[in-house]
Amino acid sequence: MFRNALGKTLRFLGYTVQYGCIAHCAFEYLGGIVVCSGPSMEPTIQSSDIVFSENLSRHFYSIRKGDIVIVKSPTDPKSNICKRVIGLEGDKVCTSNPSDFLKTHSFVPKGHVWLEGDNLRNSTDSRCYGPVPYGLIRGRICFKIWPLNDFGFLRASPNGHRFLDD
Amino acid sequence: MFRNALGKTLRFLGYTVQYGCIAHCAFEYLGGIVVCSGPSMEPTIQSSDIVFSENLSRHFYSIRKGDIVIVKSPTDPKSNICKRVIGLEGDKVCTSNPSDFLKTHSFVPKGHVWLEGDNLRNSTDSRCYGPVPYGLIRGRICFKTELVLGASLLSCLSGEMLSCVSSVLEVCNSACWSGAVSEGSQ
Repeated sequence: MFRNALGKTLRFLGYTVQYGCIAHCAFEYLGGIVVCSGPSMEPTIQSSDIVFSENLSRHFYSIRKGDIVIVKSPTDPKSNICKRVIGLEGDKVCTSNPSDFLKTHSFVPKGHVWLEGDNLRNSTDSRCYGPVPYGLIRGRICFKIWPLNDFGFLRASPNGHRFLDD
Repeated sequence: MFRNALGKTLRFLGYTVQYGCIAHCAFEYLGGIVVCSGPSMEPTIQSSDIVFSENLSRHFYSIRKGDIVIVKSPTDPKSNICKRVIGLEGDKVCTSNPSDFLKTHSFVPKGHVWLEGDNLRNSTDSRCYGPVPYGLIRGRICFKTELVLGASLLSCLSGEMLSCVSSVLEVCNSACWSGAVSEGSQ
């Protein structure tokens, strides 16, 4: 009877590990649901919105300027941040605040991206901690699920003037 | 007959996906074998050395100063680099080269680490591209294998341990076992 119970427990553990691994790989390589919090991406994404992020783009290196990405925070590896890609490697970005009189520019180094929140006045982003290595990108947000009145693909950046084309 | 073949193919694919996922998670969360190339970690790790990296430390945030880590390259996300952790967040590190007359220092920012290769003259590391975010660390190297005269030695590479006892595994047709003591790298 003891052997029976042990056998059942081991089989249960085996199935748990198996399906846990498959679920983990599905989230890692395909995508998953994400709940965002914080005001830095308003009005595109409000706090407590539920979005769907796909993780294929980052594995195929097809993240583009204007994409909203989930990134492992460079200042706190235990948390994730959600920002918009303003510049890819080699692009020229404006590093000064919109309210500054003198504009300063710099180029995004190789292997990095420049991130900014849509809510420029209330967002800690690359203007604060500098360009972020591409390797920290976790996924690309492609679809908003909740609230239902805002269901659908995400809007373009309200700050088009931040995208410098040279 | 067609349905039979289709069923078998789907079952085969199902098993492949299943065991592929389990293998991926094992490498991601436990560890794996890594082949290093390049001169930046000499003499500790030579080019083409085979090392074992464990990936639990980075998930439990227990990477320490002196550990050798595998890190996703900040300048090329498709490749990995292998360096030693010289400073953790908040530590003071020397940012100038040993040959410079004036020494400059800085503090490692929050959430970052300062990496340097053991071969200081031939290593592109944090002295070149600055502190590296902790989130890029993939794993910690804990064991190195060397093929020496048909036998293999396991030597400890932990920067904090000064000596450890390792055992020799037999390779190929060798029938003799022996023990060896090897020293740590720092």
